[in-house]
Amino acid sequence: MRLTSLGLVRGLIGYFVGLAVGMAAVVILRLAFGMSAWDQEAVWVGGLISAIIGFLLGVGAMSDWLKWTRGIETPLHHGPPADKPAWTRYFGVDYNHKVIGIQYGVTGLFLLVVGGSFALVFRTELADSGISFLQAGTYNTFLSMHAWVALASILLGIGGIANYLVPLMIGAEDMAFPRLNAFAYWINVPAIVTLLISMLFGWDSGWTAYPPLSLLGPVGYQMVFLAIFTIGLSSILGSLNLIVTMLMMRPKGMTLFRMPILCWAILATSIIQLTATQLIGQAFLMLSFERSLGMPFFKPIYDAAGVNIGGQPILFQHLFWFYSHPAVYVFVLPGLGVISELLPVFARKPLFGYRWVALSSLAIALVGFLVWGHHMFTSGYQPYLRVVFMISTLLVAVPTGVKFFSWLGTLWGGRLTFPTPMLFTLGAISVFLIGGLSGPILATAATDLFLHDTYFVVGHFHATIFGGFVFPFFAAIYYWYPKITGRMYNETLGKLHFWLMTPGFWLMSLAQMTAGTMGMRRRIADYDPALGVENVQLLVTIAGFVIAFSILIMIYNLFTSAEIGVLAGNNPWRSRSPEWQIPSPVPEHSYAKPIAVVGEPYDYGLAGSSYIAMAGAGDD
Amino acid sequence: MLKLPQSYADRKHFLIVGALVVIGTIVLGFFLLAILPIKAQASVQAEPIRWLFQLHIWLIAFLFSLVVVFMLYALLVFRRRKHDDSEGEHFEGNTALEVIWTVVPLVLVVIFSFIGVQTLRGATSGGDEVQVKAEGFQWSWAFSYPNGVTSAEMVLPVNKPALITLQSRDVIHSFWVAEWGPKQDLVPGMTTSLHITPTEIGEFQLACAELCGLSHWSMTAKIRVVPEAEYTAWMEEMLAAQNTQTASR
Repeated sequence: MRLTSLGLVRGLIGYFVGLAVGMAAVVILRLAFGMSAWDQEAVWVGGLISAIIGFLLGVGAMSDWLKWTRGIETPLHHGPPADKPAWTRYFGVDYNHKVIGIQYGVTGLFLLVVGGSFALVFRTELADSGISFLQAGTYNTFLSMHAWVALASILLGIGGIANYLVPLMIGAEDMAFPRLNAFAYWINVPAIVTLLISMLFGWDSGWTAYPPLSLLGPVGYQMVFLAIFTIGLSSILGSLNLIVTMLMMRPKGMTLFRMPILCWAILATSIIQLTATQLIGQAFLMLSFERSLGMPFFKPIYDAAGVNIGGQPILFQHLFWFYSHPAVYVFVLPGLGVISELLPVFARKPLFGYRWVALSSLAIALVGFLVWGHHMFTSGYQPYLRVVFMISTLLVAVPTGVKFFSWLGTLWGGRLTFPTPMLFTLGAISVFLIGGLSGPILATAATDLFLHDTYFVVGHFHATIFGGFVFPFFAAIYYWYPKITGRMYNETLGKLHFWLMTPGFWLMSLAQMTAGTMGMRRRIADYDPALGVENVQLLVTIAGFVIAFSILIMIYNLFTSAEIGVLAGNNPWRSRSPEWQIPSPVPEHSYAKPIAVVGEPYDYGLAGSSYIAMAGAGDD
Repeated sequence: MLKLPQSYADRKHFLIVGALVVIGTIVLGFFLLAILPIKAQASVQAEPIRWLFQLHIWLIAFLFSLVVVFMLYALLVFRRRKHDDSEGEHFEGNTALEVIWTVVPLVLVVIFSFIGVQTLRGATSGGDEVQVKAEGFQWSWAFSYPNGVTSAEMVLPVNKPALITLQSRDVIHSFWVAEWGPKQDLVPGMTTSLHITPTEIGEFQLACAELCGLSHWSMTAKIRVVPEAEYTAWMEEMLAAQNTQTASR
């Protein structure tokens, strides 16, 4: 088998060919217009846009569409490629949502490891005061890269959960637009390559990229802007696909309020992604234009009389947070959905208050659009806005509380068992509780004026993201692993992973919050020993390494169990959900016959009830 | 009368959980106050921040205990026993409970909004008996007083309301003296300000709290809060030095 038969390899070749062609084209154009040949901003931007298109052409993500423009019909291909080993389909364009889901999930996990490793590098530096091996410039680059790589990993991880599970859970054959689905995945890959290349040039503003700072630094910024714009495009296309799938492809009898609860969470998430992502794309595009074309959107420029004829730095913060706050709910809502999905299975009891839980996801999504200004209490905007955003932000506590109490109601009176997925679900609740409860103290503006941009905020949002995404993501991986591979993971290693990671994370969160209240600022390459935070910083670093080690155990577990794990059977968790009623691993065509929904999804303990009926021969 | 499943009807569970929540709240509250020693204490504006912070800690202690005690109790009492293959109680929800745990938090939100507005006023208002301008630039600070005195350190008299106006020469910075409490960004093209009435004599550190590039971490300056007499003397000394400098030029 030739290496170039892998789509990924062809894509990467296309990327670098595209880069060279694009850069050359800009140089030639510049010369033609009588400018100097080299302007790094313009040449790189031209090169990178062309590189991303080159990748997509190389990998073949647009092949079918291009054929259509020439009137060639391309029927959907099913199954692994005929002339190559089956595993190769994961490294090229494939239209099956289960393959795309795995591609998303594995890429997300890979980026989680990369982003986490960046954190370990600067955590090692921060273990004691004094600069030891990481100079301030490199520190800032690592810090900034950690954020965006980790955020990309979350978006891809969510894509993995949603793409693999939504069609299975609603009994659909595939996503509504399989080609768009593959395109939306593959466009992430050149974006990630571009993001990683930015490291070679460095950039130092943190993920928020506030101007004017982000207008000043090296050309690495352009790569970040373009990478995030492209990943954002993937979010928009992917969420559009999910919304259409859920609204149009449900089987007979599955009303919206009979969908598995995870689908409600994905629906709420997709609505945010579809409508808010444009704002960050726009904001980063404007930064890119301001840098390469000199369009003054954000940086003040003064004329001779001292009048500002340029831009306004705070405008960027509004645009940025109008996406980036709702994005937090994009990150956590699917995870909260996983918690709500798994608890009934391991409690053997209906989900408490299904409709309330479902609608609380939508409520969080909608209120989430009104709270962006709480990131800007110290920004210098009109002081009355602090009051508005304080009140809207506190309101988020209400639907979030509904979720917590409903989870307790689900556990109460159950028959609880504690295999690894359940442990991670409970761990997620405990960690998200730390993240959630440290929220209102940041929402009330007075306390935020002290806590803003300290390690308290670092502790708060890592607890929110770990509780709302990472823990539930791991719970989901362990839970659906037997469905994906047909084999069981190693339970002992799974529990070891949990018991290392969870206490490690509690310790890390609390230590970060302690450092913050003691006056430790965020994003500093070194700190004054007089602050007295050295011991706490050491604890954070140790906890970080424990968490990283535990994740390595999981990855080892996932790899080895796929070969030697015991056969899991179709439904090891005795779940009522449709995807567990079919063979493991799921066949190429998930459902041999259309399913019909005949009952409620979570009626555990109700004798004689069932959720779905597989159509028998002669039905319908 | 609504028929409750056994686990809900059994009062004993709720009495035990209730007692544990009370104990948990008290223990956790004091624990959190100990490990979250908020540094804001040396200004009039820090007082409401500190007060609200500690109020939050008690609310956090209560809510955390409420959820965790219920959860741990359920994990222990409702775990599946050996050789028990039965399912859990079939119970799909309870509208009255849902309404209660929607409305009670809503009331709390209203209360905290009200408290939030009051404390915000306390943390951001003050007089302007002393005025000083702080300029931030990559990666240092410069201070100037209305009488033309310029300095690399900021000196303020204790217990006098000060208005600090803030300007940036390049990128966004943030003015923060942890002991004083609030912070405020410096935005190029704008003048922002901060009211501080220092209540403690001593040396403090001003640090930039908004990532501003390479040496952000070391963008600090010395702040001295001194008795009023000492402040007047320092100001006269600075004025005299500055006049000699101007004269000799």
